[in-house]
Amino acid sequence: MRKTNWLSGITAVALVGALLAGCSGKKDNEPSASPTTSAPAATASASASAPAAGTPVDGGTLTISTFSDIVSINPIYVSDTASGDIQNLAFANLYDYDRNANVTVEPWSLAAELPKVSEDGKTYTVKLKSTAKWSDGQPVTADDLIYFINTVKNPDAGSPGISSFDKVDKVNKIDDQTVDIVLNQVYAPFLNVLVTGIVPQHVLKDVPLKDLQKNAYGIDPAKTVTNGPWKWTEWKQGQYITLEADPNYWGEKKPHIAKIIYKQYADQNTEVQAIIKGDTQMTEAIPVTQIDAVKKHENLNVILAPGPQYEYLNFNFKDENFPDKYSPFKGQKTRQAIAYALNRQGMVDKVLKGTGRLMNSPFLPGSWADPGDEAVNYNFDPEKAKQLLAEDGWKAGSDGILAKDGHKFSFELQYNAGNSRREQVAQVIQQNLKDVGIEVKPKAIDFSTWIDQNVTPGKFPALLLSWSLNNPDPDAESIFSSKYFPPNGQNGGWYKNEKLDALWVKGQQTVDKDERAAVYKEIGKEISIDLPYVFMYQYGLPQVVDGTTLHWAEEDKPESSLAYGYLFHVINWWSDKK
Amino acid sequence: MTEYLIRRIIQSVLVLFLISILSFALIHAAPGGPTQIFLSPNLSAEAGKIQAHNLGLDRPVPVQYFIWLGNLLQGDLGYTFKNHIPVGKILWPTVGNTMVLMGAAWLFSLIIAIPWGIYNSTRQYGISDQTSNIIAYLGFAMPTFWFGIILQQYFALKLGWLPLSDMYTMGKQGNMLDLLYHLILPVTVLTLGFLAAYSKYSRASMIDVLDQDYIRTARAKGLKERRVVFRHALRNALIPIITVLGLDLAVLVGGAALTESVFNWPGMGRLFVQMAVAREYSVLMSITLLVSVFVILGNLLADILYAIVDPRVQLGRSGGASS
Repeated sequence: MRKTNWLSGITAVALVGALLAGCSGKKDNEPSASPTTSAPAATASASASAPAAGTPVDGGTLTISTFSDIVSINPIYVSDTASGDIQNLAFANLYDYDRNANVTVEPWSLAAELPKVSEDGKTYTVKLKSTAKWSDGQPVTADDLIYFINTVKNPDAGSPGISSFDKVDKVNKIDDQTVDIVLNQVYAPFLNVLVTGIVPQHVLKDVPLKDLQKNAYGIDPAKTVTNGPWKWTEWKQGQYITLEADPNYWGEKKPHIAKIIYKQYADQNTEVQAIIKGDTQMTEAIPVTQIDAVKKHENLNVILAPGPQYEYLNFNFKDENFPDKYSPFKGQKTRQAIAYALNRQGMVDKVLKGTGRLMNSPFLPGSWADPGDEAVNYNFDPEKAKQLLAEDGWKAGSDGILAKDGHKFSFELQYNAGNSRREQVAQVIQQNLKDVGIEVKPKAIDFSTWIDQNVTPGKFPALLLSWSLNNPDPDAESIFSSKYFPPNGQNGGWYKNEKLDALWVKGQQTVDKDERAAVYKEIGKEISIDLPYVFMYQYGLPQVVDGTTLHWAEEDKPESSLAYGYLFHVINWWSDKK
Repeated sequence: MTEYLIRRIIQSVLVLFLISILSFALIHAAPGGPTQIFLSPNLSAEAGKIQAHNLGLDRPVPVQYFIWLGNLLQGDLGYTFKNHIPVGKILWPTVGNTMVLMGAAWLFSLIIAIPWGIYNSTRQYGISDQTSNIIAYLGFAMPTFWFGIILQQYFALKLGWLPLSDMYTMGKQGNMLDLLYHLILPVTVLTLGFLAAYSKYSRASMIDVLDQDYIRTARAKGLKERRVVFRHALRNALIPIITVLGLDLAVLVGGAALTESVFNWPGMGRLFVQMAVAREYSVLMSITLLVSVFVILGNLLADILYAIVDPRVQLGRSGGASS
């Protein structure tokens, strides 16, 4: 997921995704995942829903714009947003999410019912619908699911999903429609892992795993056997993708839209021009700066609500990452002072145009793991910040900048070039911290270079980035636990807190949801005091739709809080365009 | 002539070889290789190594180079790393698309620029000449992509007369009229850029020639001005223009990445940008070499045309213009 900004701001896909979190740096568009329970409707714009013009019409065309091309839609390899979009249209998922991010069985899900979990919490029994079929007419069976899981967890296949499935010990076939998935440990987030597409075993079984990624399956439309409402019919690399309703689709509910065109543009600004012109009917995300321009057009609706992603200011605790071999962030009071010094609400109002929500822990506001008021809320209070800094031993030097033990409080704040939101926020941070005597030097770096050289290896003094939550489970051990220092995980700030390390594990191994929620409340409380990050805000990506040609019933409208939520229930949408 | 050509071709192959080494080294030196792009951190380090090995990326760069070169000599441009698509399948269609766009813009600007430049050389500082000056300054000074956006705003969005972007309307692929319709805006933008250079060159070159003694002689003989200009001066005036055109041949293929991006034209320049972002080495190398081939061909062609236009130039002999 890196959409890079060097030449025109095209970034690739946000690649950096973790077990449940994908860090994304593109311009304003981030890869998706699925968030948590409550649907944040509070800040949704008034026009959040296109007019439901009468009854559904079959046979229309839907044209969606994108700025990045797909890589492969083989569910074993999908890790970027564009490929994920097409996968979601061409493949059915085992389970799906409802609007509140609960795992559920929809008429278009492959599973017949929710999985039964054994008493010890280690065995998940999945039952498939007997009606599900592949586009070549073969039935979808237990063998397909077993092949999929065994392939993903095998390192030879090189699947990015490996970290989700490596807790699977074995997969047993009970009958043609039933599978027992046995975990080697209790792993509560596993239910969300089962919201996934699967692949046809009868097509792929003879392909050596090492060659699987090079196989035409997932890349050549003619050779990609799918099981979703639409069949993938064409791919003009770098230009467009087309899908057509599969006449043999097995589901009881058939799609209304006959043809979907997924059209690629050079960047988000050209996408905006295209939808204004009427060349496209939907764009997944536009820059916040373009919202006003789009709203001038009456036929266009902007759907904007906080989504499954949040921005953070990451401190680095490792001395080597600073020119004077001294990390100024080691004092807890110092970190708290920085949180007090930042005018986060101001950033939400001015930079995000009011569409963000403050966060104080890594759990999305309103989700079942959200600690709410139990987390410390750092309101904008420069005086308190100054006081805390003084208590931690920082004294103003002759130039007005704080210093301690001969070390000046001055650091470089990195972010990716071309991301206008982060650029503006970095400037506010610089000013806010200057007011309490800390010098910040913002530095913009090309995204892929930055991820490669700084973010992944943990070599940065401080940075501004965001996480996209790949699934609604609150587990974030691989970001915050000291088990996951680079290169093993994504704790690039080298943060260590033994209490939290233990709590993250406890959270994974507690099955009862209420008990789990209590664990995450405790994590939320502790992490908001200790602050490995300053959790800045949850934010949304403005989706634009042409309300005059694209329609849905109220219960099928897009859901900003979900990953891929811009196409929520697309099977029920209809279009007037031919 | 034959001997000269053979010598030039051998030189060209050497140059291409050096270019390939240099670009291969530079492209591989860029931070964030293809594995970083497609290996997300949720892929374990071990799985990452297997990936890199499968793709041959764990071998030393010189070894990778010679493998690549070996394949190239057998006509194999390689595959994309991320999804193993043959480079040719992605590249060749974009070459054609770029040639259509750039060829149209080039021809169009030549047709306007050369006669206009000549006309202006005979009526220096007249209204036409001044206009051409202004256009030239605009053409040089205005970033083409910016001009493109302005045209889009006005003709596509505000007036709605012309398509905003793309090469064809969806579903009308291959329709000539539709293509022409889509060519208008990008060709206008590119023509303005070319026009600036070409009209100034032809004007300057013509003025230069018209000042020569043999032109004065021709006029003294009582020849009509028309005959002086077209019969005696033009051929000589074209020589420097041919040089410029030869050098620009590569532009025809290389395209204009920014203009193509603004107009979403599926050409090679736009492809290069996309592939640079994705660090698709094989595609980048193929484009670089292809453009290099055209630079060299362009130069060669210009030299040969010289000999045809200017009898004084004798290729391959000492003192020839090509040395």
